[in-house]
Amino acid sequence: MTDTFRRDLVALIPKLRRFAWSLTGNRQEADDLVQAACEKALRNEQQYRPGTRLDSWMFRIVQTAWIDDRRRARTRGVGIDPEDAHLSDHGKAASLPEARLMLERARTAMAALPETQRAVMALVAIEGLSYREAAETLDIPVGTVMSRLARAREALLPALGETKGGRQ
Amino acid sequence: MTRTMMDKERLAAFADGELSPEDAAAVVMHLSDHPEDQAYVDDLMAANAALAQAFSAPLAEPVPTRLLAAAGMPGANVIPFRRRVLRLGAGGLALAASVAAAALLVWPGADTRLVPGAVAGGSPLAQALDSLPSGVPATLEGRALMILASLPVQDGFCREVEIVDSSASLLEMALACRGAGGWRVEVVLAERLPETTENGYVPAGGVETAGLTPFLDRLGAGLALSPQDEQAAIAAGWKR
Repeated sequence: MTDTFRRDLVALIPKLRRFAWSLTGNRQEADDLVQAACEKALRNEQQYRPGTRLDSWMFRIVQTAWIDDRRRARTRGVGIDPEDAHLSDHGKAASLPEARLMLERARTAMAALPETQRAVMALVAIEGLSYREAAETLDIPVGTVMSRLARAREALLPALGETKGGRQ
Repeated sequence: MTRTMMDKERLAAFADGELSPEDAAAVVMHLSDHPEDQAYVDDLMAANAALAQAFSAPLAEPVPTRLLAAAGMPGANVIPFRRRVLRLGAGGLALAASVAAAALLVWPGADTRLVPGAVAGGSPLAQALDSLPSGVPATLEGRALMILASLPVQDGFCREVEIVDSSASLLEMALACRGAGGWRVEVVLAERLPETTENGYVPAGGVETAGLTPFLDRLGAGLALSPQDEQAAIAAGWKR
């Protein structure tokens, strides 16, 4: 049981790193977060119900650990809240080829979203969870998932450029 | 007649794959004569794809040791099927998929040996899938064949098969999965081989993994089986 759990957990790490990166916008912080989440998962293994989705369970742990970190950072008054910061890439994007430019824009736009919207966007668009699964992971109603997605997209689509217009 | 636009939430649900087949079909019908809504759906899908790609790098990277330790498996050999050196049996020569510049031909492609669909029982390919351990060089119709990994999926096993035709500089990768009716090739990818390095080794890069990874993810594939577990699966006839 424990061995299976660990194996499954290890197999999930690449996805957890992706998820954590999309939340933090920083790879170092993302790995710190994944490390903390894995340690927490092992300590609380008995809370995991076999047969349920381990990835959703882990996404939830990563997301709560991230929120806790952010709260702590704010209390201490350190760290920059991307919601308040004027995000600039210091002209970096201008020198990138088109395809990489798009990815750079996507990361910047993601980092500019409010935390709650970013988490929903990451679970649905990047991790491919259904609205219901995302709702269960974040412990919010499905309607809230949908409204957060809608608001996130109002900001994201224009920021990603290349919108064909018409429905903004 | 005024053109009615569909509400954004419904279009988003469509783009996110949330609608039932019937509802999705209705949206498709609607989109065919509402180009402005079609453009919006295109934007949504492009944004989803851009986001997924923007953060995808960790999927193709080895897991840092400190994270393996945090997950309680410091010695684990993670994503062995995503990073490896591919070997070509003939003459001790070794080749690998190139990272860049290799043409990725999704089936139907060039003159490939592997075709999607059921694998005839008793055929050389079926025999290899049944009993050839991963990493052991073999031949199939004169071409180098190797099974790279066996992976557990929801209701059985899949095996990654590689066939190298050095004379045609063609590498085929396929995912064959074991169902009730025997083996079935689920997906075939083919790409041009790069030049070999002097020592014959080129580290495997992103192309072939990027190709098969979405399929593995969709199947919910776990980590590659260890040689012992694979041997046990072979002995059990790949029954779970």
